[in-house]
Amino acid sequence: MVGNIFITIALLSSIFSFIMYYLTQKGFTNTIKQARISFHISAVSVIVSAALLLQAVLTHQYQYGYIYNYSGSGLPTGLLISTFYAGQEGSFLLWSFFTVIIGLILLDYTSKRGDLEQRVMMVFTLALAFLLVMISPLLKSPFNYIWMQDTFIDVKHINSSFLSMPFIQNFLMSDQTANQMFIHMNRDLHAALVSNGIALNDFIIQGKGLNPLLQNFWMQIHPPILFVGFALSLVPFTFAVSALIKNDYTEWIKQSLPWLLTMSMVLGLAIMLGGYWAYGVLGWGGYWGWDPVENSSLVPWLVSIAAIHTMLVQKKTEEKEGGSRFVKTNLILSILTYIFVLYSTFLTRSGILGDASVHSFVDPGMLVYWLLVLFLSIFTLIGFGGIIYRWKYLTKTFNFEENILSRELALFTGAAALIASAIIVTVGTSAPIFGKTVETRFYDQSNLPIAIIMGLLNGLSLLLKWKQTDKKELFSLLKIPVLITAAVTALTILVGGVTKPAFILFAFSSYFTIVINAETAYKVIRGRKIFLGGYIAHIGIAVFLLGVLATAGYSKTEQADLVKNKETNILGKKVRFTGIAPIDNGKKFAFNIELADGGKKDIISPVMYRSDFNNSLMREPAILEGFLKDFHIAPLGYTDGTEEQPAGKNIVMLDKEKPYEFNGALITFIGFNFSDKAREAMMAGTDFEIGAKLKINLKGKENNYEAVMKTTGGNKELIPVELKDANIRITMESMDASGKVALNISNLDKEQDSSVKQPREVLSIEASVKPFISLVWIGVLITVTGLAVSAVRRGKESNI
Amino acid sequence: MNKKYIIGGGIIIVFMAFMIFLFTQTNISYEENFKEIMVSSKTVKATGSWIKERNYSVDKQNKLITFYMKDYLGAEMKVVFSGSIPNNFESSTSLVVTGKYKDGCFYASDILTKCPSKYQEESKKNAKT
Repeated sequence: MVGNIFITIALLSSIFSFIMYYLTQKGFTNTIKQARISFHISAVSVIVSAALLLQAVLTHQYQYGYIYNYSGSGLPTGLLISTFYAGQEGSFLLWSFFTVIIGLILLDYTSKRGDLEQRVMMVFTLALAFLLVMISPLLKSPFNYIWMQDTFIDVKHINSSFLSMPFIQNFLMSDQTANQMFIHMNRDLHAALVSNGIALNDFIIQGKGLNPLLQNFWMQIHPPILFVGFALSLVPFTFAVSALIKNDYTEWIKQSLPWLLTMSMVLGLAIMLGGYWAYGVLGWGGYWGWDPVENSSLVPWLVSIAAIHTMLVQKKTEEKEGGSRFVKTNLILSILTYIFVLYSTFLTRSGILGDASVHSFVDPGMLVYWLLVLFLSIFTLIGFGGIIYRWKYLTKTFNFEENILSRELALFTGAAALIASAIIVTVGTSAPIFGKTVETRFYDQSNLPIAIIMGLLNGLSLLLKWKQTDKKELFSLLKIPVLITAAVTALTILVGGVTKPAFILFAFSSYFTIVINAETAYKVIRGRKIFLGGYIAHIGIAVFLLGVLATAGYSKTEQADLVKNKETNILGKKVRFTGIAPIDNGKKFAFNIELADGGKKDIISPVMYRSDFNNSLMREPAILEGFLKDFHIAPLGYTDGTEEQPAGKNIVMLDKEKPYEFNGALITFIGFNFSDKAREAMMAGTDFEIGAKLKINLKGKENNYEAVMKTTGGNKELIPVELKDANIRITMESMDASGKVALNISNLDKEQDSSVKQPREVLSIEASVKPFISLVWIGVLITVTGLAVSAVRRGKESNI
Repeated sequence: MNKKYIIGGGIIIVFMAFMIFLFTQTNISYEENFKEIMVSSKTVKATGSWIKERNYSVDKQNKLITFYMKDYLGAEMKVVFSGSIPNNFESSTSLVVTGKYKDGCFYASDILTKCPSKYQEESKKNAKT
């Protein structure tokens, strides 16, 4: 309950702070102090609520519905802490937490810069208030008690010593089909427990636990970093709106840039960590699946990158020529970055995506849905309403022509291409709203040409001068880089076997970026190292794109059954399954696989286990990582030979008189040969015989056959129909009450395989070789480093 | 007209046109009614539930998994899927399979399993009784 009080205080004081900042902006002089104090109260309250939730998580306070639903006992501390943000309520609290931390820094930053504070913090506190409404006690607070809503708790999560108490019996429910017992938790039960002096926390002793897919190191750090990025994206928005309010557009660029760069850096890192998790744990076989949740963090990132570039133009032109170029673009892009963060939150949290995402969030209810719509609409209105309001002034004041061969125009074009990509990804992600979805090639094919254009523009823009470039000079500058790029591309074609024209262009444009940036960086390196940020980031992106090209275009996959201790050649490696080892106190099983390549031997161990959480078989891939290529093994299944598993089945359900074609023969099911005597015997459980009468038409000749299923002394025996001419073997698998028959129709020459028992201990795997996937991670890390260097540089420049 | 709007706008317009074209090529509709699927030859995302009473069979040689699904009206459909079984297939309450219906079978190229916490499903069931 204390937690709810703090959330309520935080919400009310953020609203109060907003009002006070608004009044300050309106000209009141005595309100700024109250605004600051109430923001601090709000911030401290959020921090305290987060600390309280953390404490509740660590001490297993299952009386809170959120903790029961998402946390559990017996998790290692790191994973236990990560249950803090495993659900909607907790992740919004985490988002609010980072928002107030950033708010405190922003307050300090803006208060030193004239009248900036009231405008920026006015917008900031409004956004904070919206976040806090989402987790307010009336909506979805993580501190709401479990009995406030009807909840069904599995009896295995209840302290069994209470189960025999008479009053409990009224709340016990059983589900026969699932063979489970539940306790119906509601206000009445809570009242009954209270009157019997039983504390809820003694009554519920275990939570539902953490989804096993999230039980991973990367999932502990990916969400917090993502939410730092989301929280930071609000800052450029507030600066842009603040500029619109004051109708003064010169200062805000300088002030906003370090924040925007930091945001891009953090968000980029978060996206990569999510991809690494998908690759290493999820077993998608890749790092990117164009899943709505991934897309929705990518889009704000793309827009922020576009904004960085056009803002640099405005900053440069202000310094050099006193005029401000791209003012409107910068306002639009800064506002759009945050709007896309809100839109993606809406898409992924409102339940609107439904079946489209692997991230199945529980339907949050209509109230949350409409609140998210309101949040999104109000901030869209504030941002774009402001721009429309100032449009006349903006178009009149800032109207410049760019020359074709100028760096300004190149950067503007690059930004336009990034925005095109952002729109495409958004459209694809939003398709489920209209009951549609797109294949992933929609994203691949549309973004491929954009990436090529981006790479070429990236290199070109560095050779172009501000304002105007001499054509001859440009050509002479281009000569050597283009020659080097062409040589490396030719090498890629010859050695790497890249032949598709689009891929060749893609490789060329990525190499071009690297060559030009490396050349420029080499010239700069003797000067101030802090100026290198941009070039580092560009090289990183190009390296990343080359990694994408290699893995997306040239990965190889093969499925195989590994018989224990028998060597199999898979994708150039000798693969041997050596045995199973129980890990994690016998809860999981590691399947040791020996990979031999020349004289080198490595052992990697994919993991499979049955999870109590979702009663499913979980499969975790194992990866032999290398710079040149990764060898990725995903386990599919395991047979230990206790069960006979015929391979090569082709089960067909046949209706009466509906022919089925196989190997050129028309097979028609006429009916069952099922005598009354057989029926009685079947009922009595004694020996019986059923036949499936078949009419088979082969090359115009028609004959009748019967596939028989016989039970003698409890053993099932199948007598198949075999047609040597048509290479067909038909066995009756089962009969269906609706009058259909299930037949196994297979090739007769494969009969050997199907009748032979599977050898003991077989591990089925999917192996893949992913060339240069290391470049994907290395590239992103280089980019993140570059963005960090730039953020420091622009931070210094914004100092007063 | 300003050059930057012609070039920047041009890029966006060209890609929007390309996107619309691609969208018409790659969009897939969701379909909940299996009877509709059986008469159409379009690639769809069929949503329904896996009939657990009817066992699924695995053809290891051809890497085919065969199982049965039913829609919300109870219509049943045989699904043939080539690929590896997704992680929580066995416990999934509902499935989304992507593919085409042909010759009595739905040939799926992709399976999405949804396991919206079984407790909640069962809680709802219990709540009704």
